[in-house]
Amino acid sequence: MSTEAMIDHSVDATPTAARRLPLWAWPVGIFAAIAVLSLVRLITGRNDIASSGTLSAALALAMPIAFAGLGGLWSERSGVINIGLEGMMVLGTWGGAYGALIGGPWAGILMAAFCGAVGGLIHALATVTFGVDHIVSGVAINIVAVGAASFLAARFFGDLDGGSDVQSPPVAQPPKVGIPGIADPLSTIEQKGWFFLSELAALLKALTTGLSALTVIGLALFVLTFYVLWRTPFGLRIRSCGESPTAAESLGVNVYLHKYLAVTISGALAGLGGGFLSMVATNIYRESQVDGRGYIGLAAMIFGNWRPGGLLMGSGLFGFMDALQLRGGGAALHALLLLIALLLLALGLWQIIRRGRTIQGAVAIAVAIAVALIWVVTDSVPGDITPFAPHLTTLLVLAFASQRLRPPKSIGQVYRKGEGH
Amino acid sequence: MRHSLLKVAALSSAATLTLAACGGSDSDTDATSGGGEGGEGTDVKACLAYDVGGRGDQSFNDSAAKGLDRAKDELKIEAEEVEASQGENDAAREDRLNQLVDAGCTNVIGVGFIYATAMGNAAKANPDVQFAIIDDASEASAGDNVAQLTFAEHEGSFLVGAAAAMKSKSNKVGFIGGMDVPLINKFEAGFEAGAKEVNPDIEVQTKYLAEDGSGFADPAKGQTAAEGMFDKGADVVYHAAGGSGAGVFKAAKAAKKMAIGVDSDQAKTAEADVQDVILTSMVKNVDVAVFDNIKATVDGEKQSGNIVFDLKAGGVDYATTGGKVDDIKDKLEEYKQKIIDGDITVPEK
Repeated sequence: MSTEAMIDHSVDATPTAARRLPLWAWPVGIFAAIAVLSLVRLITGRNDIASSGTLSAALALAMPIAFAGLGGLWSERSGVINIGLEGMMVLGTWGGAYGALIGGPWAGILMAAFCGAVGGLIHALATVTFGVDHIVSGVAINIVAVGAASFLAARFFGDLDGGSDVQSPPVAQPPKVGIPGIADPLSTIEQKGWFFLSELAALLKALTTGLSALTVIGLALFVLTFYVLWRTPFGLRIRSCGESPTAAESLGVNVYLHKYLAVTISGALAGLGGGFLSMVATNIYRESQVDGRGYIGLAAMIFGNWRPGGLLMGSGLFGFMDALQLRGGGAALHALLLLIALLLLALGLWQIIRRGRTIQGAVAIAVAIAVALIWVVTDSVPGDITPFAPHLTTLLVLAFASQRLRPPKSIGQVYRKGEGH
Repeated sequence: MRHSLLKVAALSSAATLTLAACGGSDSDTDATSGGGEGGEGTDVKACLAYDVGGRGDQSFNDSAAKGLDRAKDELKIEAEEVEASQGENDAAREDRLNQLVDAGCTNVIGVGFIYATAMGNAAKANPDVQFAIIDDASEASAGDNVAQLTFAEHEGSFLVGAAAAMKSKSNKVGFIGGMDVPLINKFEAGFEAGAKEVNPDIEVQTKYLAEDGSGFADPAKGQTAAEGMFDKGADVVYHAAGGSGAGVFKAAKAAKKMAIGVDSDQAKTAEADVQDVILTSMVKNVDVAVFDNIKATVDGEKQSGNIVFDLKAGGVDYATTGGKVDDIKDKLEEYKQKIIDGDITVPEK
């Protein structure tokens, strides 16, 4: 059984490796995205579609999801499905607020990570030691965490001035950082409304000024995660636990230990996402403020093909859509219809010319024309759809991209030491 | 993996249901009973079932709590409070109301339209108990023993809309609603009518935060939406989004613009460092309605049917805390009188 798995794996891995984008594709892709957004702005005349305000908000809305997804990445790479991210985030929101109240923002960050890690540890105990079905354990954690946070909030915030059973008093926020002296020149360029350059300036401004320290930490954790999981022996061992734990065991890897570590780290990262919500996105803990972001993080990670880069794009997409609909409403989303039409058109042409898939290409072009028609005849996306648009978009992209996904081979399976022989 | 994804989908929907039930029972056990020494002059026990957010939301629920506190002090009644949870269903709410009846409550007050269906059912099952629901006048909650306490939010919103238009320099104002439902639409309609009355050319930007109750408890969303409006040139933003309003005030503070509060006099109840950006608040005197309802029972009367608290009855008003509307107060009073006299009819949608 284990040899079969190994053979499957090697056959499967080769095309994945060949498909991986080279490093230069990243800046090219980003520049192309900026150019297309700029084009859409010029055609539709909607200046807020890629303004620095929208992009800043997008980054702030994407971070909690990115944290959750990063947590999911650690766990799932070690072979443990982590649907409990939502609950670990909930624990993190309470931990962040409580830590920040008693010891300032840095204590809040540590406390958020710690509370999430406790959730992760429970998940590890259930799935790795007791062999509970991963989904069942995760759902249980989601339920218990909501109750626990609710109890803790009532116990610790209920009697405080400005707090209540469901809300904390205002807490100290982590400091904002940025490159000084760069905001004004970038604003000037952004205001000019030049093609491409203004959007580039807006993006640079959003990425270099007024960032929360926790955002910077989060982005650094992405780099760190990539380095640790793909460039160190420790990361290789964790990934081997997710691909084939019996093979890892035969090579002397302590599978239980590595799974425990990965799932606990996963919880800590999700907890940081929760802390971000209660300390950075706003400055209070509020019951149910996580509102499904853990699930979206998990979806973003799957859409990102269990890799940090893809996950970052997935959460970025969600954050961008959310920022756009919150700030601009239906009218801003309406402008995006044009973007979707352009993308589908490009995709259709690419399918026909480069890959010779006439039918798929024709369908894509037909849909592109339909979307363009909708854009021409309507003025706005209905208000009933706008709050749901980020979820819808992420779901569609997920469905569209899911044909090429390759999860870790042994994900969700119960591993028992010595049973592989 | 396909199997696990299916499992995920099935279980997470199951989880939502369980969570809802869980949350309900959780809140019930949380119930804080106050005024234990009551019962000297009366055997009335008034019980409040809060909307999502509960006591401490600095807004709608706090206003109801104020009415209950006043009744406890002045009428020496017994009281009990329970809080709602996010995402629960009507069955869970009905359970909560029935548990309050079991706990000996003679007056059960549902704070918020989310209790409509639950209250209708609970009222039918307990004909001897006086029920009251705030913000709902629908068939679902109607009954001989149900008082439907509603407010003319559109009239109060008209006044703050007029204030916003008089104070706006950019001729752009904004409205942020927590949820796109008829009740919140009333706030928007009144606000827009008031602003347009002062300045027919004014631009009113509108945004609803969510399709469900989460829009009333997500300050981060309120902040992002308000930032968007300020970036697009608005300089006064009115929110009817409960707890999400805290984010609106933060955005106003950061952009050095103004915001208008809702339900309570938020220049008093909001966080101290943002109180100075609050131009005025559309005060909805839920406390008056709650107090009157309890007092009626203490006096041996029975309230039933739809009772509207409008501008005339003092059910809604604008707040003057902070002195930011002192210079336009005469004009606002003029509009107020016109609405009371029926010279201006404020649209409800």
